[in-house]
Amino acid sequence: MSSSSSQTKAPNEEPTSSSNKPNADETARFECNICLDAAKDAVVSLCGHLFCWPCLSQWLDTRPNNQVCPVCKSAIDGSKVVPIYGRGGDSADPRSKIPPRPKGTRSEPPPQSFGGFNWGDGLNGPNVHFSFGIGIFPLSFVASFFGNGNANNAENGQNGAGAQQQGGSSRADGTAPGSRMAGEEEYLANIFKYVGIFLLVWLLFV
Amino acid sequence: MASSLPRRILKETQRLAADPVPGISANADESNARYFHVMIAGPEDSPFAGGVFKLELFLPEEYPMAAPKVRFMTKIYHPNIDKLGRICLDILKDKWSPALQIRTVLLSIQALLSAPNPEDPLATDVAEQWKANEAEAIKTAKQWTLAYARKSLKKALLHQHCLVLAPTKIIET
Repeated sequence: MSSSSSQTKAPNEEPTSSSNKPNADETARFECNICLDAAKDAVVSLCGHLFCWPCLSQWLDTRPNNQVCPVCKSAIDGSKVVPIYGRGGDSADPRSKIPPRPKGTRSEPPPQSFGGFNWGDGLNGPNVHFSFGIGIFPLSFVASFFGNGNANNAENGQNGAGAQQQGGSSRADGTAPGSRMAGEEEYLANIFKYVGIFLLVWLLFV
Repeated sequence: MASSLPRRILKETQRLAADPVPGISANADESNARYFHVMIAGPEDSPFAGGVFKLELFLPEEYPMAAPKVRFMTKIYHPNIDKLGRICLDILKDKWSPALQIRTVLLSIQALLSAPNPEDPLATDVAEQWKANEAEAIKTAKQWTLAYARKSLKKALLHQHCLVLAPTKIIET
């Protein structure tokens, strides 16, 4: 329905506007699909349809359970629209009552660090076992020993769910499963596990 | 009134006037820019051919986030339009999208006249008849068109002041 509307509109508008004022025709292509004005704070959906961010966010707010593109009904996510930055004029917009336009996203390449020795994981994770008294070992060892691999993965943020392993071995970085790296890591993790068990026994009985 | 009217409504009104849809006229009321007097000519290939149907269209405060409210003022024998003139059309209910416009809504209603859908009825008695004996139903629809939709122009003119006073009475569905 909506696509037919834009189709019926376009041929009707073009002759009049192109003969009278070519500028109007040019700007019509950049009209917001909701307010029919030149798009302000423009965002484009992943399906390619242009909106003012205030217009689109208002529409998504009215249909929280059924968020679809107004034009083509494809699924749409307010946080996944792409802002369009033209030249100038962007900072002057008053956006007091409107949720801020989502930022553009830059995806970083996956880190190359070796997960087993990733000290950073210990800063904000559940690795409270640091006080165990075996500080000479990397934190991730404790994590792997207690099966906290999932927590590490979640913090790391780069792993897909498929890369997570539920077992005792920690997979803290973005290494693809099955690769040589992964094999080495698992081997190391196993070694740490046995050393850990040995240490525990040693602590308990000596 | 005009100052609080969204630019979109102004634009749509202007475009409807500058570039009317064949077989459809929509004119904003003089005292209420959100209320439209609509005429739809019965499509040639339908039992409503030769009739002119009067409708009222009201743009609620939330428009375009909410669908316009549209109602047939002229009596019509159609499985998806009940005797109060309410229309069973998905884009007027849950399938509304702000990318739709007055123009596209009226085009959809025109298409509904060409293609009655008794499987999703609003006027159940009409739908039953339509399913049981389509030829008879089409005959009745033609009779109703002759009886009511021929005179609707004259009637509409006579009752215009009533229409203007009644926008708040538009059905809520």
